[in-house]
Amino acid sequence: MRFLEDMILKLGSVDRRYIFLLIGLAVLIPLLRPIDLPIRTTPTTEKVYKAIAEIPANSKVLMSFDYGPSTKPEIHPMTLGVMRQLLREDHQIYITCLWPDGLYMALDALEEINEEFELVEYEDYVLLGFRPGNEAIVKGLASDLRKVYTVDYRQTMLEDIPMMDGINNLKDFQFIFTGSAGYPGTFEWVQYGGDPTGVPLSSGTTSIQVNEVMPYVQSGQIKGVLAGMPGAAEYEKLIGTPGIAIQGMAAQSFAHLVIVLFIVLGNLAYFITERRERKY
Amino acid sequence: MAFSTIFGAWIAAFLTLGILSYLYRDNPFYKIAEHVFVGVSAAYWAATFYWTQIYPNLFGRLFPKDGPLAFIAEVDFNHDFNILYLFPLILGVMMLLSIFKQFNWMARWGIAYTVGIAAGLKAYGYLSSNVLSQISASAVDIFSGSLPLFNMSGDSVFNNIIILVGTISALMYFYFSREQTGSYGKFTRLGIYFLMISFGASFGFAVMGRISLLIGRFNDLILFSSPDYNYGTYWMMLFIVVILGFWSFQNPEKKEG
Repeated sequence: MRFLEDMILKLGSVDRRYIFLLIGLAVLIPLLRPIDLPIRTTPTTEKVYKAIAEIPANSKVLMSFDYGPSTKPEIHPMTLGVMRQLLREDHQIYITCLWPDGLYMALDALEEINEEFELVEYEDYVLLGFRPGNEAIVKGLASDLRKVYTVDYRQTMLEDIPMMDGINNLKDFQFIFTGSAGYPGTFEWVQYGGDPTGVPLSSGTTSIQVNEVMPYVQSGQIKGVLAGMPGAAEYEKLIGTPGIAIQGMAAQSFAHLVIVLFIVLGNLAYFITERRERKY
Repeated sequence: MAFSTIFGAWIAAFLTLGILSYLYRDNPFYKIAEHVFVGVSAAYWAATFYWTQIYPNLFGRLFPKDGPLAFIAEVDFNHDFNILYLFPLILGVMMLLSIFKQFNWMARWGIAYTVGIAAGLKAYGYLSSNVLSQISASAVDIFSGSLPLFNMSGDSVFNNIIILVGTISALMYFYFSREQTGSYGKFTRLGIYFLMISFGASFGFAVMGRISLLIGRFNDLILFSSPDYNYGTYWMMLFIVVILGFWSFQNPEKKEG
């Protein structure tokens, strides 16, 4: 017993660099040698899928790319998944960006999606691009979209884009989806977009935001939420197109196991040390 | 594959490995990657803001083609001339004047305007979506019989009672005008447990998010290690490890104490 306690104490005070190395290996090995782990969908992800499935065919949907390369691994699979589901039902997609890098994420997503759907610009989608102003932009879109956007990202006048006919504010869309990595993002779309206009809104967020976004889901202000990489993987499963999120889930699970193991060891070491100090 | 793509991949691999090298210890590769990141970010934001906002939306409205100020410059974005846009231009210039000591009082005007607008916008959004909507969503009639008694993740009588007790006890914990003793103290202690569970969930999600980002970087490094990219990751890793090893011998780590 004493030997076991000494071992735990040793492991509990191991150099942090060994822990980093172990986590690195726990992530790297499943990525190099993929392992299929079962993915169970959660009600919040199912709500997003259902809400999009219920949009009447040939609707106009606004998608906002509110993230950058730093959070691409989490949010990009979500926006790709949502675009796939929308395009299968022949919905038209209008893309805005509250983040400057969001434009490049949108271009990247369109390039990837184009390989499957052979998209026609200004018929299937219009990329309006980035406008700085955070929540003021969302509020502007809710009242008069044409004041915020006079041209799209190619500097084409909105009057010259047939897809923009009849689109004057957020109420002209049947659904809004935001891929959000922070500020500005989901909160601003709820407060200045979804709530004031009543247009159904859904969101895909980074894991770190989920706790704060969940009250909006509970209250129905958001139709479900895609929560981090697991949310993206669940969504990929629901639309039947496995992608990088599903591939990453094995790595995610193994890394969590290592972290949990070291949290348990650290706590055991703490309690053992405390007991020994009390004894002597 | 184009040379620029391969070159970009090698730079990306170098910067990623440079940042990750901090896990070993603070070193010159980490410093290079950190400084490049800060510099490029600042320059990128400045350029983006100028070309997507100031140039088309401000100068485009002050110096449009055929406008009264077109003799100074012509910025054609199909906007009409609007004299009101002089106001943000002046406020912006006043904010920049803060670098001169004798004029730094002027910056307060621009800042005051920005803070006022932000406060007004936030107050409206928060009151409507975070206060009123959340209160009305929490006020559920649990005796109507329309809700199931228990449901693991969906709406139910049990879950609504948990939300009610959790909300009130956590709020009570922050009520400091009464000493938290006796049964009141026990109730506020319950509030702390709810808060701890919430913090635990936040921590768990934060870890999950960081691991997702690591997966993203590893995916890129694996991609850049392919023959298509001339084994960029391997070459960069070899370069960093060799230089870092040599540097570590030259600068041994000082033991604490």
